[in-house]
Amino acid sequence: MSSRIQAILEKRLFILDGATGTQMQASGMPQGVCPEVFGCENQGPVSAMHAAYRDAGADMITTFTFGGNRYKLSEYGLTDAYDVNRELARICRRAVGDDTLVAGDIGPTGRFIEPFGDVSFEEAVSAFKEQVKGLIDGGVDMLTIETMLDIQETRAALIAVRELTDLFTIVTMTYDPHGRTLSGTDPVSALITLQALGASAVGCNCSTGPEDMLGLIRAMKPYAAVPLVAKPNAGLPRLVDGRTVFEMQPDAFARHARTLAEAGVNLLGGCCGTTPAHIKAVAAAVKGLTPMSPRVSSLSGLSSARGHLILKPGAPLAIIGERINPTGKKAMQAELKEGKLGMVRQFAQDQEKAGAALLDVNVGAPGIDEAATIRSAIGLLATISDLPLAIDSARVEAVEAALRLYPGRALINSISGEKAKIERLLPLARKYGAMFILLPLTDDGIPATAEKRRGVIEHIFEMALTHGFTKDDFVVDALTMTVSAEQGAALETLATIDWCSQTFGARTVIGLSNVSFGLPERRWINAGFLAMAVAKGLSLAIANPENAELMNIKLATDVLAGRDAGAKAYIERFGAQTTSAAPTALSDGKAQAPAELVHKAILEGDREAILAWVDKALEQGSSADTLVNDVMIPAIRRVGALYEAKTYFLPQLIASAESMQKAFARLEPLIKKNGAGATKGRILMATVKGDIHDIGKNIVILLLKNNGFEVIDLGKDVPHEHIIMSMQEHRPDLVGLSALMTTTMVNMPEIIAKARAAGLECPFMVGGAVVTPAYAESIGAAYAKDGVEAVKVAEMLISGGKSKKSK
Amino acid sequence: MREPQIFTAIPPTLPEDAVYRRLGRKQDITAISRAQKNEIQAYMHDAVSLVQLKGSARTLTIIALNDGRIELEDGTVFESAALAKMLDGCQEVLLMAATAGTAIMQVIASDIAGANITRGVVLDATASEVVDAALTWIMAYFNQALLRQGRIVTRKRFSAGYGDLALVNQRTLYQLLKLERIGIDINESCILIPEKSVSAIAGIRGGYV
Repeated sequence: MSSRIQAILEKRLFILDGATGTQMQASGMPQGVCPEVFGCENQGPVSAMHAAYRDAGADMITTFTFGGNRYKLSEYGLTDAYDVNRELARICRRAVGDDTLVAGDIGPTGRFIEPFGDVSFEEAVSAFKEQVKGLIDGGVDMLTIETMLDIQETRAALIAVRELTDLFTIVTMTYDPHGRTLSGTDPVSALITLQALGASAVGCNCSTGPEDMLGLIRAMKPYAAVPLVAKPNAGLPRLVDGRTVFEMQPDAFARHARTLAEAGVNLLGGCCGTTPAHIKAVAAAVKGLTPMSPRVSSLSGLSSARGHLILKPGAPLAIIGERINPTGKKAMQAELKEGKLGMVRQFAQDQEKAGAALLDVNVGAPGIDEAATIRSAIGLLATISDLPLAIDSARVEAVEAALRLYPGRALINSISGEKAKIERLLPLARKYGAMFILLPLTDDGIPATAEKRRGVIEHIFEMALTHGFTKDDFVVDALTMTVSAEQGAALETLATIDWCSQTFGARTVIGLSNVSFGLPERRWINAGFLAMAVAKGLSLAIANPENAELMNIKLATDVLAGRDAGAKAYIERFGAQTTSAAPTALSDGKAQAPAELVHKAILEGDREAILAWVDKALEQGSSADTLVNDVMIPAIRRVGALYEAKTYFLPQLIASAESMQKAFARLEPLIKKNGAGATKGRILMATVKGDIHDIGKNIVILLLKNNGFEVIDLGKDVPHEHIIMSMQEHRPDLVGLSALMTTTMVNMPEIIAKARAAGLECPFMVGGAVVTPAYAESIGAAYAKDGVEAVKVAEMLISGGKSKKSK
Repeated sequence: MREPQIFTAIPPTLPEDAVYRRLGRKQDITAISRAQKNEIQAYMHDAVSLVQLKGSARTLTIIALNDGRIELEDGTVFESAALAKMLDGCQEVLLMAATAGTAIMQVIASDIAGANITRGVVLDATASEVVDAALTWIMAYFNQALLRQGRIVTRKRFSAGYGDLALVNQRTLYQLLKLERIGIDINESCILIPEKSVSAIAGIRGGYV
């Protein structure tokens, strides 16, 4: 049957059918019923719909089984998905006859699958298999997995299909207006994952009208080794008088369909709101158009759930982050043994931030269940990192566990010529669509010379060919050996890279740091070797991306090897960098005094430089008192004014306050030594009982301290009694209370009443999201809307109210 | 009656403009240097890497809606004229909640205690907006699932503590959504813990028939 479909695809656009759900509702299917049961019990309207689409010119008619999985059916009390699907497939066949193709329709379960949800991956595969078996036994010619929101659920459905049949299978996902699925997958990442996993055609359906689908198709086409599919809605839904309508008429829909075909779509149909009239118009509009075949026959690309890496010739060197590996890391080994993944998380995030293009994942260590642990690690990494993963394990079962769960196209690190492993790993790579690192060693060991390595590489490639792989599906490990043991080893590696790049036509990878083992100052050997390897055409290096020196050399070599167009990445990294590490004291060509620079550092919130300027000012004879009173306090007051004018916003205010705090901490001992440093007053601060929000209160405290107040912070969720006792103990000049919620704000008057009852007369200042000036006044307190205002209120209350102090 | 649907790993999105607004930036007034912008954006990305977004949602049929009183199929009643107005014409409510988890709260607490208060402030604002965006994500998820029925989720949503919907209703939402399953607790003041947790109510309306 696939050959019949292929024959159509080679000569013309393949026409799919249109909406089924909306069509059936228009035919009288009531809201709230199970569509599949309705279909089984009302064969007339279902058959009529199928026949209408056939008569409109559709090459393929989908069964009315979109929600025919056990999860959806169980919402209506049904348990036998197999029977329902088989019956609806038979109804479809009877309706359209043997000359029209019937496609078994598979929709989402409405649940999220691990690692993104609470349904286990195997349970999801099992549920889809139940549906697929019913459809196959009902006589479908092909399958269509559609309207998928989540790549992992899509994988589960496709794996279920491929473990049962090799029928032609269309897979389409649903993208939002920003071009991502709800789970964040972009169309190219989805394409890479699904075509490698065995989808016969890939594309998009539902959610958007045809105009918005054009961008998705254009993004996918350059990388598609399979035909592309588009099934747009008839425009966007609108609510008119409480009813939903799709307003795009067949003629307009067909015009857009033709544009989609011209952009590279090979299979065209419709989704919500489309009718047989829309499909008839589409068939007419694309009649005579020559379909645009896939532009590539294979793709060297890797993907995660939310990102991808395409290994194009001439692309920048890609660094595979090596740190997720317990070898030599006792703390990580101990963590993994306890089933914890804290370091895996940390290493992943740090390496991603440092510029890794992929993450190598190795959890092999004595005493660890490697298959279970790598599965957990893959699950975690899939949710926290956008980078594709390299599955690094010597155990075949661990590799399989990881590949099955991984929601993308992974890189297996590695497949060598060792007989027992290659025979198991190549089929696994094929089944899950993984790329692999071809490791040119055999049961006889590591070939010492480049020439011998060539023979092994060619031998492994021949075996890979028999499983359907191409040179785009692997990268060759050029085998980095230690130069301290054999000085010619590096040259053999470089020769291997050169041969792969120039003659054999394959991408290459090296494990960088091996080269320098046993030598002092290894970084220089590593750096030199990396530059030489890039010059020979190296594609990837396994290394530590947190080594800034290495990453800088990578950026430089990318420029020099013509792999960073316009030196864009290099300029982005270094363009804004100044060369001076130390403060220069120059501005507009004039020397500035250190005291001026202290002022400037506070204004700019420069927490890095301020201490150097304070020290310099002291060295040049400024006194601590002068610096605080004549430089720093005017600076922070200026910051307050800028904040009030909204020229500054909160992070700038806080950065300035932190700079001030740092400088003050340096000067405080000197001020005390001089006998100065009297505070403006003592303030007690608390977030009231029941309230856990304290960030606002802490900002107020920072600014009060900046402005010379002594502050005692009682923290958050503070009981009334504790506040009263603290007032009695510390005798503050002012008490500040904070509350964020209406339910906790009511504690404020209670605290004030208790204080007054205890004979404590000091003023109160209140604030927080729900507190208003009127409320403050009603409870006998002053109000401050933010930290800057709190300073003013405190100054006013304390300078004018010393006589009321609770002493 | 449908059980709450649990989302164990909602993909975080960074609504950058909303974070800037929450931090008080005024377009065309606030002046931010390139270095400051880089620093703030790096903190925003730190926040995104620290949140562990989980959610819970469920739909319930509206049995009666009048005079500021909304009665649901399970007997739950919300009293709020503003909420009733938003739900006018809806057949169902969509109840939902999301949390950023505890990891980011620990880092914010450490930063605010003095490690890096500037970062703490940005992390705090970013976490608030990322959790809010998670509710938007849940609504988008339901919208997609409802599209085939021609039904849509209201664009607006309503939280307990806003307008005339008393904060005490957060306890009802907590129970209906089984929020303990996603690591959320609620205190005697009806505040959700961890702090960066939110709940809300939206409506579902429309249909082809």
